[in-house]
Amino acid sequence: MRERLFPGDRIAAYVVLVALGLVTVLPLLYMIVLALQSDAEVQSGDPVLWPADLQWGNFTRLFEAAPFERFFLNSFVMAGAITVSHLIFDPLVGYVFAKMDFPGKRIAFVAVLSTLMVPFFVRMLPIYSIFASLGWIDSYQGLIVPFLMDAYGIFLMRQFIKPLPDELIEAARVDGAGEFRIYLRVILPQCKPALAVLGLFTFVFQWNEFLWPLIATSRTEMRTLPIGLTLFNQEYFTQWNLTAAGALILFVPTALFFVITQKFLVEGIALSGLK
Amino acid sequence: MTRRRQALTAWLFLTPAVLFFALLFFLPIGNQLLTGLYDSDGVSFVGLGNFSRAFGDPEVLHSFLITLAYAAGTLVVGTAVGLGLAVILNQALPGRTLFRSVLLIPYLTSVSIVGLLWRNILDPQVGILNRLLEAIGLPGQTWLSTHPLATIVGITVWSGAGYTMVLFLAGLQGIPSLYYEAARIDGAGPWRRFFAITIPLLAPTTLFVSIIGLISTLQQFALPYIVTGGGPGNATSLYAHRLFIVAFNDNDFGYASALSVLLLLVVLVLSLAQLRIGDRANA
Repeated sequence: MRERLFPGDRIAAYVVLVALGLVTVLPLLYMIVLALQSDAEVQSGDPVLWPADLQWGNFTRLFEAAPFERFFLNSFVMAGAITVSHLIFDPLVGYVFAKMDFPGKRIAFVAVLSTLMVPFFVRMLPIYSIFASLGWIDSYQGLIVPFLMDAYGIFLMRQFIKPLPDELIEAARVDGAGEFRIYLRVILPQCKPALAVLGLFTFVFQWNEFLWPLIATSRTEMRTLPIGLTLFNQEYFTQWNLTAAGALILFVPTALFFVITQKFLVEGIALSGLK
Repeated sequence: MTRRRQALTAWLFLTPAVLFFALLFFLPIGNQLLTGLYDSDGVSFVGLGNFSRAFGDPEVLHSFLITLAYAAGTLVVGTAVGLGLAVILNQALPGRTLFRSVLLIPYLTSVSIVGLLWRNILDPQVGILNRLLEAIGLPGQTWLSTHPLATIVGITVWSGAGYTMVLFLAGLQGIPSLYYEAARIDGAGPWRRFFAITIPLLAPTTLFVSIIGLISTLQQFALPYIVTGGGPGNATSLYAHRLFIVAFNDNDFGYASALSVLLLLVVLVLSLAQLRIGDRANA
């Protein structure tokens, strides 16, 4: 039988959970309410919990006021390209550290892991200066290149590949498969769950990235969604309904992420210890 | 396969990574260490001048102190909330998977959304919070003016509590249930078991949560940038925000580099402390 901490402890637990759950969800739901309000409702002092008329036209007005389709495209290109790059390089490097023996392995691994400690601020100014002289400000390569791979992903993949049986590799080698072929045909197919976690997290984090796109772009048509939305809000600061509509567009990948990952989300984060 | 061939293959596979980390991590860091020794023109060598300037710069000292206050506040409140949630959601409660996922949503939501949303909610004139307060006859709040830093702490905890919870849940699941059963047989009640087993055995997790929390809060930039713009005055101009202003408003890259080197030093010390304590905990 279940022990009780105090009479009604179970109810108390649910009260806490529901209260904190509401504090978490209500602001996000209010974003939807706000996005569909009329300008008058946004300006009025009344607590509008549901708009009198749902103003779907706010989305049209948003796209007329600023090039949100372009912001969306830029974010998609940046997050997508970085995700593809991570999916190519993180498992490859992780495999080398998990399964190969070579002189310099220890020092190379420590060097990669040490980059975990480096705040982005320390890389930011030199990379900015170099990219400025290359003419890479306001370019896709400028947005993408600083994040092509990272130690989190490499470490995650190494941890996943390490317990895979060596016999798989040996057998393929006996069959005369080349080293890269072994990686591609034998190792990678075993990594699907880890690759799914890596890909989803990389995409969402890069989609949300704020600091670098703020610095690496100056022309409106090269802004990513988080930056474009923040600057849009500074310009149209009274039209919170339009800002909220833009925020909903920015929220789409996060929402999709939760739909896709429902089952393994919490375990996935605990497993990877992602920032 | 010979050892020699394996070594060649390994380094061949590593070539893109070697290039990437050399060019986009180690080269910039080295460059930063050097740039910090030069004046804003990038030509005049000033030695450690930028560093001694930082220690005497009231703006920088202010930003450093409020960053410490911000980090401490976030750490204490965030850890308490995260641990509390983890303990509750570690029980076999119906619906716990749903609660776990829901509480994680803000962590994966763009900081632009989080910042703009809360700025709107808390806005004294048009914000929904004051509209509701006034509708039930309570005075409105002006927290972003009266308690700006505490408000930023609150928003940070709001967006990070789910992640802290997940880390604590992983820690809780690592405690062998055997310990609890043994304590129960010895007659220890639930509170006693919590303080005598859960808290001490969670110590490594708590430490991990604290140090990664510190490292990330010391670098916090986007949230105050979006919510308050560092204001009112410079009340929420955290260290990273100051660094950003020195670099991109004052265009003083030499000084900004020195400031970023100081940030690196603090983060390195914290990270190494984490590694050492982690080793001791595992030993």
